[in-house]
Amino acid sequence: MSLSMDKLSVLYHDGLHSIQALDEVSIELKPGACLALIGESGSGKTTLGHACLGLLPQNASVEGRISLNGQQIDYSDETSLNQLRWNRLAMVFQNGAANFNPVYRIINQVAEPLIQRADIGQAEAMLIAAQALSELGLNHDECNRFPHQLSGGQIQRALLAMALILDPEVLILDEPTSGLDAVTKTIVADVIQKARSGNKTVLLITHDLEFAVHNSDTITMLYLGQIMETLPAEDLLTSPLHPFTLALSRSYPAMSTARDLGGIRGDAFYRTVHQHGRQEGEAYRHSHIQSPGSGHESSHAPPTGCLFQNRCTQALDRCRTEPVALELIGDHQVRCLRHGIVSILDLKQVEKSYGDVVALRPTDLTIKAGEVFSIVGETGSGKTTLAMTAAGAFKPDNGTRVFDGHDMDEWIRRDYKSLARQIGVIYQSPAESISHRFTVLEAVAEPLKIHGLCRNSEERLERVIRVLAHVHLSTDKAFLGRYPHELNMGALQRVSMARALILNPSLLIADEPTSSLDPSVQAKVLKLLLDLQIELGLSMLFVTHDIGLARKISDRLGVMLQGRLIEFGPASLVIDKPLHPYTRLLIDSVSGLSRKSFNSGSSRVEPGGCPFEHRCTRAKDVCKKKNPQMLERDHRSVACHFPWDRPR
Amino acid sequence: MTDSATHSAPRRLGLIITFGLAALAMIYLSYSLPRLLPGDFVTAMYSSSHVTLTAEQEAELRAYYTEEPGFGRYLVKLASLDWGYSYAFLTPVSALFFGALPWTLLLLGTAHVISMFVGFVTGVEAAWRRDSHLERSMVGGMTVLEGVPEISTGVILLVVFALHLGWFPAAGAETAYAEVSLLARLADVGHHLALPLATLVLAYFPGNFLLTRNSMVMVIKQSYITTARAKGLPARRIRYAHAARNALLPLVTRFGLRLAFMITGALVVERIHSYPGLGTLLYNAIQARDLPVIQAVVLASSLMVLTIILGLEMIYRIIDPRIEHAH
Repeated sequence: MSLSMDKLSVLYHDGLHSIQALDEVSIELKPGACLALIGESGSGKTTLGHACLGLLPQNASVEGRISLNGQQIDYSDETSLNQLRWNRLAMVFQNGAANFNPVYRIINQVAEPLIQRADIGQAEAMLIAAQALSELGLNHDECNRFPHQLSGGQIQRALLAMALILDPEVLILDEPTSGLDAVTKTIVADVIQKARSGNKTVLLITHDLEFAVHNSDTITMLYLGQIMETLPAEDLLTSPLHPFTLALSRSYPAMSTARDLGGIRGDAFYRTVHQHGRQEGEAYRHSHIQSPGSGHESSHAPPTGCLFQNRCTQALDRCRTEPVALELIGDHQVRCLRHGIVSILDLKQVEKSYGDVVALRPTDLTIKAGEVFSIVGETGSGKTTLAMTAAGAFKPDNGTRVFDGHDMDEWIRRDYKSLARQIGVIYQSPAESISHRFTVLEAVAEPLKIHGLCRNSEERLERVIRVLAHVHLSTDKAFLGRYPHELNMGALQRVSMARALILNPSLLIADEPTSSLDPSVQAKVLKLLLDLQIELGLSMLFVTHDIGLARKISDRLGVMLQGRLIEFGPASLVIDKPLHPYTRLLIDSVSGLSRKSFNSGSSRVEPGGCPFEHRCTRAKDVCKKKNPQMLERDHRSVACHFPWDRPR
Repeated sequence: MTDSATHSAPRRLGLIITFGLAALAMIYLSYSLPRLLPGDFVTAMYSSSHVTLTAEQEAELRAYYTEEPGFGRYLVKLASLDWGYSYAFLTPVSALFFGALPWTLLLLGTAHVISMFVGFVTGVEAAWRRDSHLERSMVGGMTVLEGVPEISTGVILLVVFALHLGWFPAAGAETAYAEVSLLARLADVGHHLALPLATLVLAYFPGNFLLTRNSMVMVIKQSYITTARAKGLPARRIRYAHAARNALLPLVTRFGLRLAFMITGALVVERIHSYPGLGTLLYNAIQARDLPVIQAVVLASSLMVLTIILGLEMIYRIIDPRIEHAH
């Protein structure tokens, strides 16, 4: 049976304020399909489920249509609606035990629809209910308990049994796995699987991203009542297109991600619609988003533009004002003015030599907005050269550089300073990168001076203090007057972070920012850096030789060898299932595994051949003669003639 | 559920022991407290009469009526169901007590059952129609009515319907010395009952309404009501089997406590309407310092409180299974 929603909007009225819970949501569910609805709390997921069953409270007004098998459901007709409920549309509600009446035994509540709706006698209904419950693993004794006597997992099974008791055509599951352990989750997964093979339609409302990926075929991302992206389930964790999808997947503790939890910058908001005066009509209505509890004082910025823009990592000015509709990009539906996640930096075939020393061979590098990209490689592999080329500090001999959609070389020629404001750099050695004649205040304020900003010294001081507070440094007069040699390494590196951030860059390039720090200081500085990356919505290029460190901080990771990126892709994939033999060597070296399978040797390069050829045990003749091209495989790029097909 | 069975047996025993001790304390209080009343039977009886006692007679009488039987003898007499003779009426106390009890039971029992039933149903229905004009005006009206004490409703009803309009008798429980058929007698009793009953129903019903309505409003918000709606159950089943069933507990508590304080509750109304129940009996006995009667009424009412509370304990477990497993 198919369930479809057509431009479904739900408003909750509360005096003159109304909360927009759903905004023109259109969803189509085919028989045997499972659609997962994902979003933060307050995004309208549960409202949508309740709307399907006509369970919204009286202060809700609904627009749009919900159809079952192409036939629109009439929610004003309580009698026919009651015929539909549970018989054809059933729901597993969230919050477990609260959904059972505390004064009746579980089995009575499971049998109740049979008795009341299907006209089955008491005794027979109890038998059927017991059978249904035992199929989900509740024994006779447990069936006869009261709701408060069951564990969370048992309650969830009972809820599932109760929803399935009349064999409905559409099953709506609202957070069926929250609070459940991984093993009990498999029972829910089995129920979904069985329902789908029985040609039922399943709507899975969840914030359990991995569960959604494994149990649904399509995923719809909901944000403040709007669909932000609809995508095939398997793309959720690997190749989302909307910044919200990326940010949410980064907040989820998936087994497959190595990076520390990120979260989404800023706070979720309510969407309220004001009704000025009692008159009906659009002229008197305007809506805005406000943070919970802020009451009337919130800004009256009309959200004609994107709802996510205040938390987005790639928002432009026009994102705030221009309305944006869903568009089809590949097999994703995306609501983004910028057509999905953009690349903030795009280097194509850049090359660089210092005299006859070749530092960079033709290499591509793309950094997406809001991500942390790490470059890992051994000393002399060209990491710093690549980073400085990306920063605009070095001019490549060949190749093109595009920053935020504009040609970088032309930009540099025309107005280097305005480009430099966009890119902050943290250098390898903080002690050397800060002049020892500058106080902290002077060092941090220098970029402002150079760019001619904040000519008023009080204003400048205020800005310095703000950025120092960002990096958790003291902001008192004594500290501002300190000289670099008076500070420890950790504080010094934070000063250089503050200096890099003071111009509000959109891209931060950090070249081995923690290599001179001891582990405890390194941990603190890195945590801070990542927090700032999230909160300020920065994109980051992180250069390090430490692959263990890169694993903890990066969304994507690239491995460099002999002036070329030889493998890059999602950090977890590159590290868990390396495709390039050199990547494997790197990882094995870190984990102290045997390196027997690799020949030791100098890092000399045969012109024209693969740079790893002489150390590689898998090398064939072709590796000597031909430098491998980049292959796209398993969500990443690898430059190898014989990549590991079946990773370890 | 073997675990709960093994748990509850000693708990029930403990409960009974507790109540037994409480009953013993009550018996002692019913013995000692009435003795603390200022004045005595002799003063009360003869101060207003035409008989003038000599000092000697008075001393003799006083010695007789204030004789201390001792708590031990009191207990023995209680156990042998000998409640003694009333000083004032010169009849066995038990005869007086059991003569008045049926009237009180009839008046108070009917009043409680009616006010509970009507209050419950109107409360449930009002809560279901929350925020409608009907519900709002009902809540307002009932709040006002709840604030009016039964003493004033009683007097107003008496003045209007008995004295002014003359529709109902102003006193008594039945017409004295009337030799009529059973049916006519029932009608006569009903006729006498109407005004005191109306007074009590008006006094008790608003509270029951408000209590039910409030707990229903809370229950209706619960998730399991949404579940019941989603299951497509008939509206009346959702309202009563699911919602009202859970809103019942506070009302049962109130019902029980009201029943327990039946005698004191009846005192005012029985006095106003001169209804020959336990309240009137107690009132007269206190006026006459008729110690044996006071003792009997006080004891009976306190034991009734205990019994009903014990009964409530048992009923709670049936109404709300969570209580059985609460620790």
